[in-house]
Amino acid sequence: MQTKGDGAGGAYNGFGADWTPTNLTETEAKRATGWVEARIDKRFLLTGKDRKEDVRDIMWQLEKDGEIVVHRVADHHAPELAKTLYGWDKKIPTTNLWHHKSCGQCGNIPGYPSSVLWIMNQLGLDYLDETDQTSCTAWNYHGSGIGNVVSLAAVFLRNMHQAYVSAKAHGLPVGTYYPLIHCGTSFGNYKEIRGFLLHSAELRAEVKKILGKLGRLVDGKLLIPEEIVHYSEWLHMMRHRIAARQTIDVSAVRATVHPACHVYKMVPEDVIYDDTVLNGDRVAVTTGLLQTLGAQVIDYSTWYDCCGFGFRHIIGEREFTRSFAIDRKIKVAVEEARSDVMIGHDTGCITTLDKNQWIGRAVGKVYALPVMADCQFAALTMGAHPYKLAQLHWHASPFEELLEKMGIDWEQAKAEFVAYLDEVKAGRIETLYDPRRAITSGPGYVKPPKTLQGA
Amino acid sequence: MTAHAKLPTPPIADPVSDRAPVPQEALEAIFDDIRKHPLYDHEIHGCLNCGICTATCPSAQYYDYSPREIVQLLWTENLEGIYDAMQEKIWACAQCYTCAARCPFENSPGGLVMILREVAIKHELPSVKEVLRPFSRVLLKVVTTGNQLAPNMITRDAFPDWGPNVTKVDAPLMVLRKAIPMPTMHTLDTAWEVNLRTSVELYTIWEATGVLKQLATVDANLFDVVSDVMDEKRDEWEEWLEDNQDEDGDTDD
Repeated sequence: MQTKGDGAGGAYNGFGADWTPTNLTETEAKRATGWVEARIDKRFLLTGKDRKEDVRDIMWQLEKDGEIVVHRVADHHAPELAKTLYGWDKKIPTTNLWHHKSCGQCGNIPGYPSSVLWIMNQLGLDYLDETDQTSCTAWNYHGSGIGNVVSLAAVFLRNMHQAYVSAKAHGLPVGTYYPLIHCGTSFGNYKEIRGFLLHSAELRAEVKKILGKLGRLVDGKLLIPEEIVHYSEWLHMMRHRIAARQTIDVSAVRATVHPACHVYKMVPEDVIYDDTVLNGDRVAVTTGLLQTLGAQVIDYSTWYDCCGFGFRHIIGEREFTRSFAIDRKIKVAVEEARSDVMIGHDTGCITTLDKNQWIGRAVGKVYALPVMADCQFAALTMGAHPYKLAQLHWHASPFEELLEKMGIDWEQAKAEFVAYLDEVKAGRIETLYDPRRAITSGPGYVKPPKTLQGA
Repeated sequence: MTAHAKLPTPPIADPVSDRAPVPQEALEAIFDDIRKHPLYDHEIHGCLNCGICTATCPSAQYYDYSPREIVQLLWTENLEGIYDAMQEKIWACAQCYTCAARCPFENSPGGLVMILREVAIKHELPSVKEVLRPFSRVLLKVVTTGNQLAPNMITRDAFPDWGPNVTKVDAPLMVLRKAIPMPTMHTLDTAWEVNLRTSVELYTIWEATGVLKQLATVDANLFDVVSDVMDEKRDEWEEWLEDNQDEDGDTDD
């Protein structure tokens, strides 16, 4: 809408010499275009076209043809439906989950996965965290070019097969646990690879040979999961249950969200959008959670930008990574949004944005913005210990002021944690589940009684 | 027969360098590998030169790199330009796929870059070894364990620019790891404890998919080290299998 003093000359705005302003009032402008909103769903133009296919249709057809087996999101996973970009349904399993861990999270920001598991314990949900899992190996592939579509597909399906059969080790039926992907890159990569597999008979044949050698076929067929689910999607579906257990008021917290590229830019049609979150125009996960918890989510101009991780750059060309992280994300979140905390939902982003602030001092860019994952923030609002559980001491950015704003006594919590370390040294370690459950084969595995095998 | 093969084909050379010209046959062999890549047709569909990819590209802000240029070079089959871009430019891409999310043609310049990187490794282009040298520690870790990263790789010496607060509680690393309430993470050499069978299965995947061959091309010494680790773990697994045969002939796995 053109308003007074808004460049009425037209040409100054790049509209050309023939352009003249309508000078409509706000009400008149709304009336002039309102019929479009009334008659056309904003995603109709996309969903109404045949060119956008849902690869799950191919998946069901291949299963019908006897070529693959689909690992279903079944009733015992208590699925809940979410809407994706084009209004399609996505089934999100909410319990009996197999944790597909992230190498970057577990190696570097361990409070990330421990918060997810702790929230599940609080909500009374079942899961398996085991040692029989590789990373997706896609960080390496995107960084170095070592690997290829066949290796990525074989790794994907090996891990998915293990998720499917894992419960057998505890005397439970196959298919009990459903994979929940922790890493954004694993999530994006697995979805992309699933699409390639469903489209290419040649790729399926190559991978089938390899998985056959590994004994990782089901009835001689490839096993493909019905849905590929990121933990942030699970968290999104849990947001109201989490809020019901919230003990910390975060209404004074100004939060900025960094959405992860590999979560919503790779295979975008399979990402959750919700008309009640950011008007349904941007990915709903994390923002929806924060809003439900009552935090102020502040928009900022570089929301769409990546973090600067770069896969190769974070390791071998860090000048790019830290410059981009500071100039395009941290600086903007602090100066423009006056953010108290930046919340993300992926491994590389949290690492990059958290670790690359200190070096800014070398060039007079002094910023101190806490950075953490949505699950850590959610766990804190539910009363989780900031050190023992959320493991914030692994973060380089300063979080103490934020905790004070949330009414959490971090000094006392830190003293408790330091005291707990003496217990750890003495072998008195607290864990979220029975450690014996983590080993499902090979050295250290204890077979269940014969009566339970094959159940 | 493609358009480029019909054109006059003088050897390609840099006019201000003494470097020997690259024969046309070598350029064609590289382009043939790009074009035959199983994902090539999926990643490129056309290009209007609109440049929205470059406008949103993080790397374009810091490097002499443009995803639009990459797509144009491939779309117009500019063999000399492709070869030139494969020396350095393709390594600038941050792999965020913002370009792919924005392209009205549903091209994936980021995906095309991955094809170019794979082909650069296959053809042993001079830049590859240099670019991937800092990656060798990571390659060793990921190929031998399936984990990209381990807690004992994150040290102040390795990442001095991360500052003094890499951990805010001063205690031995192993004690801090055991204070994480997930038993799978009480480790130093891998991000989580990796089952022996998992590693052995991964080696089969590497061998069957040509990944070890790629590794040998990039770093022969690293390949030797990786091969030794793989042999050791396989022996360990075989021994465990022999020791754990039960009366039914089944193993306890």
